[in-house]
Order: sequence, then C-alpha cells, then structure tokens
Amino acid sequence: MSLLEPIVPTLLSVRRIPNADPALLAAYGADPTRHTSLGLVTCDQDDALYVALDEATKHAAVDVVFAKSFYAGSAHASGKLSGEILGVLAAAEPQSIEDGLAALTACLAHDACFYDADGARGVTVFPHVIGSLGHYLAKESGLAVGECLAYLVAPPLEATLGFDAALKAADVRAVKIVAPPTETNFACAWLTGHRRGDLAACRAAAAAFIDAVVDVALRPHAR
Amino acid sequence: MSSLTRALVAEVRARRGAADPMPPRIALPPVVAPPARVYVARRPPLTPGAASEHTTALLGIGHVGTRYATDVVLQFQAELAVAHEAVAAELTDGWAKDHGFLPLQTRVADHREYLLRPDLGRRLAPESLARLQAQAAKGVDVQVILADGLSALACMQAGPALYEATVAALRARGLTVGAPVCAKFARVWLEDEIGAEVGAKVAIILLGERPGLGTGDGLSAYLVHGPALGKTDGDRNMMSNLHARGTPADEAAPRLAALAHAMIQQGVSGVGLDLAKVDAVIERGYRAPQVRQRLVERGGAR
Repeated sequence: MSLLEPIVPTLLSVRRIPNADPALLAAYGADPTRHTSLGLVTCDQDDALYVALDEATKHAAVDVVFAKSFYAGSAHASGKLSGEILGVLAAAEPQSIEDGLAALTACLAHDACFYDADGARGVTVFPHVIGSLGHYLAKESGLAVGECLAYLVAPPLEATLGFDAALKAADVRAVKIVAPPTETNFACAWLTGHRRGDLAACRAAAAAFIDAVVDVALRPHAR
Repeated sequence: MSSLTRALVAEVRARRGAADPMPPRIALPPVVAPPARVYVARRPPLTPGAASEHTTALLGIGHVGTRYATDVVLQFQAELAVAHEAVAAELTDGWAKDHGFLPLQTRVADHREYLLRPDLGRRLAPESLARLQAQAAKGVDVQVILADGLSALACMQAGPALYEATVAALRARGLTVGAPVCAKFARVWLEDEIGAEVGAKVAIILLGERPGLGTGDGLSAYLVHGPALGKTDGDRNMMSNLHARGTPADEAAPRLAALAHAMIQQGVSGVGLDLAKVDAVIERGYRAPQVRQRLVERGGAR
C-alpha cells in the first residue's frame, strides 16, 4: 500500500434478465413499453459504479433505471455479493445490455476507483474527473450531455475541507453538494466549470481536492 | 482505455515528491544486544548423555554453537588416525615363525596391491602352497588360520592369544586341529584354499578386521564347513569385534569351538546352519557398558 494507490473496485455479481416481467420493470423504474432486458450489477464501491453506469450509457443504447447505495457501505453489507450498491441497466434487447456491461466493466477496471489517501487505506478519496457526461449523470446533475464534471467523494471532514479547497482552486461552481452522511457515510460534491466544458478547471479542482484530503488524512489535528 | 482521473492522480503523486513513496515504517520489536560471546560453550551437553554410557558410538557428544567441541574433534581425529595406522600396518617379516606359526603368503606382492586387489589376497602364492602341502597335517577336523587381514596390528597383538584359546577349546571338544599357520596379505576367502589343501572339515580364519573409529585392534573369525574354492559368504558364519571392548578371547573361543562342532555335526555352515542346535555356551547376560578410550586429554576449564 502506498499513498494515492488506486483501489480497484470489484464487481461482486453481474447477472442478466433477457426478458423481464413488466411488473418488475416498472418497479425498478424502467418503462415496460421501451425496455425488455435488464442487466444487474453489485459492486464494492458505489461512486465508481455510478460513474461506470454513466459510462455504459455512452457506449450502448441502455438506460440506468436503478442505482442506489446501501447503508453504511460494503464493510457492513447484507451479503458477500451485496457490496454497497445495486445498479440496473435496462434496454430494448439483450445485446445492448451486453455492450453496456462491457463498457461498465472496462470503466471499473481502468478508470473509476477510490484512491488510498493515507498510505494505509484508513482514508480513501474518490477524485473523479469526467470529460464528457453520459445521459445518466447528465440527468442526475441537471447538466447537458457532454459536459465535464468533477465527481468528488471523501469521508465527512476530509471531504468538507476538500470541497472548500476545490471550489477556491479553480474556476468551478458547485452543481450539487451532498453533506454527510450519505447512505455510505461519505460526503459528495459535483463541480463543473463556470465556462461550459472547462475540463482544465475540473482537473484543477480535483487536484486541489486530493491535496486537501491527503493533508487531513496525514495531519488530522493540524492547526 | 485512457483515464483522465488516473493521469490526474499520477500527476498529484509525482508533485507530492514521489510517484511511489515508501510504505509507512513498520514498528519492529527492540533488538536485544548480542551476548559478549555469541557461542558460549554450554558445558552440560558435553557430558555424555544416558545413551553414550552404553556405547562407544558418537552419541551425546554435545556441541558448541553449530559445531563439535574441540575435544570431540580431536578425539575423532585421533581415532581416525588409529584406524589409518592399523590399515597401513604390515605383518613384520619373521613374526609368524617367531610365534610358532607356519608362515604363508598370498599372491599379493606388496601392501598397496593388497588393498587394491582383493582377489589376489584369496589365493596362496605357489611357494606358500608347496610349504603348506609339505608341512601341514592333513585330514584334520578343524584348520585354524591366523591372518593379518586389514589390521596387522590386531593380528600381532591379540592374534596368538585368540588362536591358542580357540585351539584349546576345539581340543577340549575332542576335535583334531591342523598345523598353526599364519598368512600374510590374506582375505577371508583364503580359508577356502588352505582348508581344502589340508582336507579339513571346517576352516576357521582369525584375521584383523576393517578398523573402525578407535578400534584398530579388532579381530574377526570366519568359519566355513567343507572349505573349497567357490564357497560364498552365504556358506560362512562369523564373529566380529573380538577385542577387549567387544567379545574378549576367553569368551569368543568357546563360541567358535561350539560353532565349528555344530558345523561338523550338521554337515553344513552359513545360512543352512541351525544355530538353535549350537550347544549353548553363548550367554546373553548382562554386559558391562563399553567405555570410550580417550586418546586426547580434555583441556580447558570444566
């Protein structure tokens, strides 16, 4: 373990329902008139999976109909396959689900993940930069598809200092700040550039966020 | 797949001073200072253990660190030297004649050849064969042969006594014994040719045995019924360790006589001999523990 080492998320279960019952589709937020197939995944990092689900919508004709974090996170899961999030992709036919799951899997393996913020995995940070939003996070954030976003997550106090640093370090604005506790007891902020598509500002904000979180993790009582 | 975030985090790590900083220091237990002498000679193991009270084998000799104690090494080297000396010794010229034996020699010419050519040590030289045919008594019950074997020292030191005791024990059983002969550069199987030449029913060869550590003075006795060229070791009976710390001559002689007598009675030797019918002079009673003879003085503080 070393400082800022990636902590690659684990897909705990991945299953498909090629032709789901309309009642089930409706219950999970899908539209039975458009959707027939579902893809269901659980993962041990909720925020990485939110990003990966959005990534899937960029590569396949899928909609993210359901994505919810579980209370208290994967360390307190209801079963060894539960992790801390269930995500559901819906599509008109099974092949779209396959394409979406492939994009989701690649994103989790190579892009979205938490990082070790103190060299001992006692504090973790999720300083994700999205260059181009898919339609899932676009809808969730109220931004347009294709805009950039800094998706910042950390434990409560670390995140609070981090948000402050990120907002001050770059020409960004807060799209949404979720004060702690979330379901998994972290805190979350979505930032985007004041100017549309200002990716450099999102990067600068994320870098400032990382520095602030690491500083708190290493010096929790510093004045 | 290129990742904006991975690249960003790598930049931050590099800016913080190291792309791969050292892991946090692991708390180690305090290191105890080494003793003044790392390998303290521990005296209790050097005193022989319970097992070594009953054997001369290298048991309970202790250690100092990972090595033997110096006095153990010195003792080992001294005992090895004893063995080397015994192997290197030769039966001196005239010794056989001086002690009343008919001197014989095998086809071996010198000591080196004796060690390298066991086959030559099993046959008599022509002049020795002629001397045996001319001077030895024929048609005896038992022909006893003294020989040097691999320890001429043992032959010269303990040989005559064992020979006399064996002959006396044989005669006590009413067996006739052949002429006293002593063979130089002899191997065990020489008894086949000598026994066949004199027409003995049983041939016994008493010869110095291959020395072990500290035992350069041991004799062995090999007995064969109906000696003839071509007999194998399966046709022989033997006793080994005939020396003061093993089986002394006064114990060995009655056993050898009993064995020879049983061979004549049963008409067979070796594997075919029924040892249960050997009239028992062999007592399996208490035997005093062997004592290792110290060849070097133990030095230093106790």
